[in-house]
Amino acid sequence: MVISPVHYVAVPLLAAFLMPLLSKINREFVRIIPGLVLIYLGYVSVTLMNQLAETGTIVETIAGWSAPFGINLVFSPFTGFLASMMTAMAFIIWIYSYRFKKVDSEPAQRFYILQMMLVTGTIGIVLTGDIFNFFVFMEITAISAYALTAFYRHRDGAEAGFKYLLIGSFASTFILLAIVLLYSQVGTLNMAEIAQRMHTVPMPMKVSILILFLVGLGIEAEMFPLNGWAPDAYSQAPGPVGVTFAALVVKAGVYGLIRVVYTLFDIPSVGEFLIIMGAVTLVISEVAALKQTNIKRMLAYSSIGQMGVVLIAFGIGTTEAVFGALFLMFNHAIIKGLLFMSGSYLVYNNPEKEIKYLSGYGMKMPVISLFFSLGALAIVGLPPFAGFWSKLYILMSAADSSLYGLIALILAVSIIEIVYYFRVVGRLYFGKPAEGSIMHKATPGGIIAMSILSITILVVGFYPDIISSYIHNAAEALLDKAQYIENVLPSVNDLTQIQN
Amino acid sequence: MSSIDYNQIMSIGIYGSAIGLILIGLYAVLMKKHLTKIVIGLSIIDAGIHLLFVAIGYIDNGTAPIFSPKGLEMMAAGKTMVDPVPQALVLTAIVIGFGVTAVALSLVIRLYRHNKTARIDQIKSLKW
Amino acid sequence: MNSLFLIILILMGGAVLAYIAKKVNPMLSSIVSFVAIASAAAVFFLMADREPVILHIGGFELQWGLNAYSWVFGAMVISMATLASLYSIAYMKGKDRLGYFNLNFTLSVAAMMGILFSMDWISFFIFWEIMTWSSFLIIVYNGISEGKIGIKYMIFSAIGGYSMLMAMVITKSQIDSFLIADLISSFSSMSLGLQALIGVLFLIAFSVKSAVMPLHVWAPRAYADSPMSYTSIFSGLLSKMGVFGLGIMLISVFSKTTNGNIFIYSEVLAWLGAITGVIATFYAIIQTDAKRLLAYSSVAQLGYIVVGLAIGTKLSVMAALFMAIMHAIFKGTLFMVVGAVEKQTGTTDMTKLGALIRKMPWTFVASLMSIIALAGIPPLGGFVGKWMLYESMITSDHYFLIIMTFLSSTAAFLYSYRFLFGIFLGQEEKEFENVKEAPAIMVVPMILLAASLFFFGVFPGYIFEPIANGMEYLGMGHVDWNMTVLSNGWGNHVDTLSIVNSVLTVFGIAFIFLGLKNRKKTRYVTTKDIHTGGEIPTENDNLTYAVDFYKPFERAIEPAMKRKMDFYYNKFGEGIETLFDFVRRLYTGNGQTYALYVVIFLVILLIFSEQIFF
Repeated sequence: MVISPVHYVAVPLLAAFLMPLLSKINREFVRIIPGLVLIYLGYVSVTLMNQLAETGTIVETIAGWSAPFGINLVFSPFTGFLASMMTAMAFIIWIYSYRFKKVDSEPAQRFYILQMMLVTGTIGIVLTGDIFNFFVFMEITAISAYALTAFYRHRDGAEAGFKYLLIGSFASTFILLAIVLLYSQVGTLNMAEIAQRMHTVPMPMKVSILILFLVGLGIEAEMFPLNGWAPDAYSQAPGPVGVTFAALVVKAGVYGLIRVVYTLFDIPSVGEFLIIMGAVTLVISEVAALKQTNIKRMLAYSSIGQMGVVLIAFGIGTTEAVFGALFLMFNHAIIKGLLFMSGSYLVYNNPEKEIKYLSGYGMKMPVISLFFSLGALAIVGLPPFAGFWSKLYILMSAADSSLYGLIALILAVSIIEIVYYFRVVGRLYFGKPAEGSIMHKATPGGIIAMSILSITILVVGFYPDIISSYIHNAAEALLDKAQYIENVLPSVNDLTQIQN
Repeated sequence: MSSIDYNQIMSIGIYGSAIGLILIGLYAVLMKKHLTKIVIGLSIIDAGIHLLFVAIGYIDNGTAPIFSPKGLEMMAAGKTMVDPVPQALVLTAIVIGFGVTAVALSLVIRLYRHNKTARIDQIKSLKW
Repeated sequence: MNSLFLIILILMGGAVLAYIAKKVNPMLSSIVSFVAIASAAAVFFLMADREPVILHIGGFELQWGLNAYSWVFGAMVISMATLASLYSIAYMKGKDRLGYFNLNFTLSVAAMMGILFSMDWISFFIFWEIMTWSSFLIIVYNGISEGKIGIKYMIFSAIGGYSMLMAMVITKSQIDSFLIADLISSFSSMSLGLQALIGVLFLIAFSVKSAVMPLHVWAPRAYADSPMSYTSIFSGLLSKMGVFGLGIMLISVFSKTTNGNIFIYSEVLAWLGAITGVIATFYAIIQTDAKRLLAYSSVAQLGYIVVGLAIGTKLSVMAALFMAIMHAIFKGTLFMVVGAVEKQTGTTDMTKLGALIRKMPWTFVASLMSIIALAGIPPLGGFVGKWMLYESMITSDHYFLIIMTFLSSTAAFLYSYRFLFGIFLGQEEKEFENVKEAPAIMVVPMILLAASLFFFGVFPGYIFEPIANGMEYLGMGHVDWNMTVLSNGWGNHVDTLSIVNSVLTVFGIAFIFLGLKNRKKTRYVTTKDIHTGGEIPTENDNLTYAVDFYKPFERAIEPAMKRKMDFYYNKFGEGIETLFDFVRRLYTGNGQTYALYVVIFLVILLIFSEQIFF
């Protein structure tokens, strides 16, 4: 069997559908199969990345219809990097969630099926080269996400799920509308060809379509004021699901936004728009985070803020800025993952997830508190941890574009971040434990997952060159529109003649 | 002459009703307080967009995009097909919309059981 | 392996080892940290090569090297840190979470050495931030205090650190290099606006660390609330990192420019330093807790140092750097003294303590020497520094600054005396009957440091030489120095040797006369063995007073001290929190509202699409 990008989509999908059957054979299969699937996908990632290094972007056509008539999957340095990162994070999440709920009150089977669907969806979003296919994968992701948010019965999961569904439906609606209008203008659904034909679309129409895309994808990418669903969803979802949202779903949303802005459209002023919206997102979410008493909600707002910085960096648009943005996406996935994982354990027995109950846990749950503190130090951007480098690159690119006010804004907001994270760390270690607070021992899977993430944070912090070459290639691939078109549509000229 | 007018009236009618549906659905989602009504509104919006999509794909005097014997005859006679792509996409979108509606309704039931009310402005225990 | 790299490696490795060693045995953790710091000191002083280290990380070139200026600070840091960690072994005995403490202790030292070795701003910043968070973790070691001092410290340090980051990044975009030397050489070629911006940002960064007004509010409580063995390096050494940076900025960078406006910043800084000195001294005087007193006094002393640096003449800079070293020594010793007292008696409240001179004689000697140095009395080291500072202020026509500095220096006598009296002199208290001298491990560093104060007071030249080399490196040109003679530009000079000789003679005569000659006629008495108007005091009579020690003084300065800077900061913080609370109400919790936001946003964008996108 030849390893090809379609395995990313096909294998998890197959596994998800087969799981109900296989679970009849042995109940434990339900937990093991996702792990096997993800290990296989990891192997696929490595193989494809190597192949990428040798032969260049891999474009795979599905069902024999070559581009631009058929759907194709594009594994470029950029999309490949994202897909590999998502696979790795999904694997770590699987390790973490292996026995997350000791008492099987919530059916593990449904959980893993939904997780597999989510993985299919997000990686599909990243890899696809066809815009309607993008919509389909987005919907797969969305439905799985709605269901996973509402997974627990005894919490406000349904409320969070419904709000997510409501806003998410708007996202789907707007994106579908945008695709419809776009199709009516350029007559094709293939991303590369759309990029090619975009200059033929009259400006007012182009801008309207772009706005629809921005709003729709902005909802998924947690841009302000479209992110009302996010704090609820992150805080009510089960622990592993929160990590999934932060590491996979929102990354796919940002990917969509970037692909539309950079590759499909050619309007230069979108950059400023992104910078402004990113800044507004950053400020409002960090400000809101300061007053939170629920730890998961606080982490959710912090996540939104980080995505704001990513948007700012993408808005600046220079190679260095895009490099910084991708690095930040990578760091955020790892560090936020660690924070959500350890945070979930810290408030395990505490139904309201309030921070004030965390006093003194540093003594009772030393290892998990250490993980949380490491995450807190890293996400604020303190050296020598991973978060520092991404911040540095983004600030450097802002300085190169003479956006001094922006630098001051980002740093001022970082101070706010420091306050609310260090408040928790201080309380963890140096508060007095409340009476009768029960702590929960982490499962071996949880410890392993958190250790992997911590070690990655430290390694990348001390020696970022390990992944910076991949990210650099990714940044260049993203910015190089002509290369993308050329990769997907090799015999461009012939096709246009046939059209005419 | 009259056939062209007929086509134009049909176009305006279809486009108009598609947009009308979208607006009605939007009104329902934004203004109605009952959860079920909101879900219905979402469905209406979906219906509107699907209609819009199919309408966009219509080519005047075109025929159905199916390779049937009669269709091949008409093609030889010079009639063109309607664009098949939107129709395929709409099929997919209808199915997706159906899935979302199903999830939405199950969530509404859960919410009602949990909160004893189905009014959206009273379900705000998660705030700020 | 390159020596510089080795030093950092030893220190960082030692930190991690110390943390792990705690699982084996808590004492081992402290010992490991001491051994690490001591061996780093050995490598430092025996260093054969001074080659720069070049590392390539993340696409940047990091350069570490040692120049004459950083050698001065490096020697001070590593020696003081060795003695402090030796002291810490005994001080921290029996406390919990030792692994955590020693990890951060050693990490702070590692970070400081790293800062000193950095030749490029990225390394500088990395080590600076490591220093910041490791010191934060120690501040909260003793528990979260009501004043939220940990967070306050972090906020101010973050403001400082981020100012530096911003200035760094702007510099890089201008001259495309992170090397400090490149900034120095190309500063004058930048536009005036940029010079001002970068200059001010760096000054803010270093002023926060040096606790200059108005960025000083974190310092008193931070110094007082940390464990004493850490505070000895916290107030002694970490603050000197700010001084180190200020030196680079004020001397190397600013002096190269022809921009007249830059000198205004130096003037402002000098004034701020002097004001800090005055006000902090006043606060020190009214304290009843020995730790707080020393903390405020540290802030005041740092004020003097900043004044010296800001004035910028050769003599003043020499004075400032000399005082920096002296301050590290005597303040370190004083905090060790307080720690020893705290360990032996359990309290540092001067209204409760008293008459420990008999019980803890060595501690008393160490603190006596340090207090004399602090107050600036010859023949100890502090005098040398202060004298040079006054002379430099006179020669550079900063008359009002002189008045302020004299005022605060003289006022410093008040709290110096109180410190000595409140702890060591006065009437014996019942509850402290059985207090013993501190363990030898704690006493030895104190006595060593006190002796060095005496030594450097007599032979200041040993310190002058490295400082002069450092100043030359910074670009101040050749500085004249002499082993025992201080001279100013007018030809007056102070010969320390003759002072010492006279002092020793007097003491010697007194000793011989009182001690040996009249031996037979002296007898040992307690403080209660006196007569006052014919009455013999009983057990419970209070013959000395320690409470409201300076009440008249307090009443005199009360109007000036009504509002502390802290108060304004707190109010500002509360105001911001209220604002934030208001902002977060945007997320109302009603799903429909969110949907409404989405639609309104879309409509706005569509309506204004022309302005935004065309």
